Amino acid sequence: MTRKTQLIITGLAVLMVMATLALLATLVLAEPALAGKLEEAIAKTPVGEAAGMIHPGAAKGFMGIPGAPHHFFLFYILWGIWVGWIFSSVGAFGGIMAGVGHISVFGLSDFAGGFKKTSPGLNKMLTDSIRTSNQYLVGLSALISSFTYYRMGRLVLPLGLCLAVGGILAGYLVPLLTVGKMDVSVYVGFFGIVVFAVAFVLFYETTPAGQAKKKAAKAAAKAFEAAHIKKSGEVSAEHAKGVQVTHWGLSRIAFTFYGQEFSFNPIWPLLGGFVINGISALIGVGGGFLYVPFLTSVAGLPMFIVAGTSALAVLVGMIVNIFNMMVVRQVPVDFILISTELIGIAIGSVLGPVTSKKIPEVWLKRIFVALAIYVGIGYLTKGFMGHSILPGM
Amino acid sequence: MEMHPLYLFLDPYLIWFFRLTGQAEVNFYLGTLAVAILALLVGEFTSFLASFVVRRHFEQVAGEAKKYQDVSMEALKSGDRPAYEAANEVANDAFSKSFFMQIALSATFFWPIFFFLGWMQYRFFELEFPIPFTGYSLGYIGVFILLYIPVYILFKKIKRKLSYSRGIRVILDSYTETPRESKGLLDRLPPAADQQP
Repeated sequence: MTRKTQLIITGLAVLMVMATLALLATLVLAEPALAGKLEEAIAKTPVGEAAGMIHPGAAKGFMGIPGAPHHFFLFYILWGIWVGWIFSSVGAFGGIMAGVGHISVFGLSDFAGGFKKTSPGLNKMLTDSIRTSNQYLVGLSALISSFTYYRMGRLVLPLGLCLAVGGILAGYLVPLLTVGKMDVSVYVGFFGIVVFAVAFVLFYETTPAGQAKKKAAKAAAKAFEAAHIKKSGEVSAEHAKGVQVTHWGLSRIAFTFYGQEFSFNPIWPLLGGFVINGISALIGVGGGFLYVPFLTSVAGLPMFIVAGTSALAVLVGMIVNIFNMMVVRQVPVDFILISTELIGIAIGSVLGPVTSKKIPEVWLKRIFVALAIYVGIGYLTKGFMGHSILPGM
Repeated sequence: MEMHPLYLFLDPYLIWFFRLTGQAEVNFYLGTLAVAILALLVGEFTSFLASFVVRRHFEQVAGEAKKYQDVSMEALKSGDRPAYEAANEVANDAFSKSFFMQIALSATFFWPIFFFLGWMQYRFFELEFPIPFTGYSLGYIGVFILLYIPVYILFKKIKRKLSYSRGIRVILDSYTETPRESKGLLDRLPPAADQQP
């Protein structure tokens, strides 16, 4: 059996054990599955036509709730096209826009906010549904890419283990502590904080300093390539060994790769996995794309092995999050909304590459920075002050 | 729950799969299996179509990630840490782009799952299957997921033998190969029309 096969089998076994443990853990402390949680929440809501009430005769909208926002399906597809276009043009900001759609564009947070005093249970259930819907659009779609990288068997097992354990803990604890308890205004406020963080990162990338750093890195890489890359691509026996773990310890884990030694303190990937998957479970966006920069900055790992290692963490975290929210905690989700949005994202994913050559990336990022700051200020003030100081939020 | 008009149209065809035998539980499992297969096939078809449209751009982005990944590995081999860090940074940027592109493209595969789950929600929302020796139960979503996964795994094995999937596999595999196996993308694929000499 080759080393690569051993790694793959070991990794798969670890994955299965973790997923089984996560499943057992969630089942042990899970509430019994009760059909009609949404119907119960609706039944407890005052009947009437004023805000914060439900009129049974009103047209049904989101999740079949009478009087809930309802839009022509093309609207959801169009928004999905916008989200998919952003994903395939710039990247990270697509998840934010998916959340903005659910929160503001489709009017779901205002609808949920109306029940804050009259039906807190419905308010919180709608908040959880928005979170889970965000997660589906962003997190589940990473499943395919996760398998693609993981198939390679290129992962640093102890690193992947630490990330996955942290991710599982967050994927279990965050829904346990927040499902059914988070007011929509609090959720919107936290969402605004994440949007500001993304805006900051995007902004830095558009500054002369940020762009100069990228240009310098590319120039250095090209210079090395021109001077040193051999066409034959021969690999010595030492380098062909791949990842070799040389030291396991509570404060330091070391491994060699291509003749170079790398090491890390296991507490950092444990914490990193917890925080990253915690953000993903709490807000519904972020997560997967944070693993790679986290791993490269904390451990200085080559992208070659970071892709596979982070894929394992993304996969495990996503399984726990979505299983916990949907199957165990029975958070209702509007599948028609998600499926029409996904159709739009699919179309946008094809349009992005077509238009990317015509619009410089740096200008796209500048537009999104402005948009992110607008959305961030709007949601922060809406969430923590009770109303947005900017229109449209 | 009032069914959406689109689902009303599809309902007679989809519910047929849930009425194949005389046993209600068996019918549900068979029907869910059929719906899972349908979701997989439709998703496979739409992702197949999308991959052809975006192929060139995807190759470009993935190729850049792979190129600088190879350079960073060479720099590691020769012990040039600054060159390794520079090339690794460029590779990571390119990887992030292709990662998000894959996320968006994955929607072309996943949308049918939610579409069919939406129909099942109208029909089987209150259905529960008690898990033996526990006080808990599994709903229609849990059963669908548990049936979808093995269908997906089996289909992947069959798909490898189908020639149409080779093109897509080349795209997805090419930039994740090890350096010693790596070849330029253009060496492995037929040249696009504007790249022919």
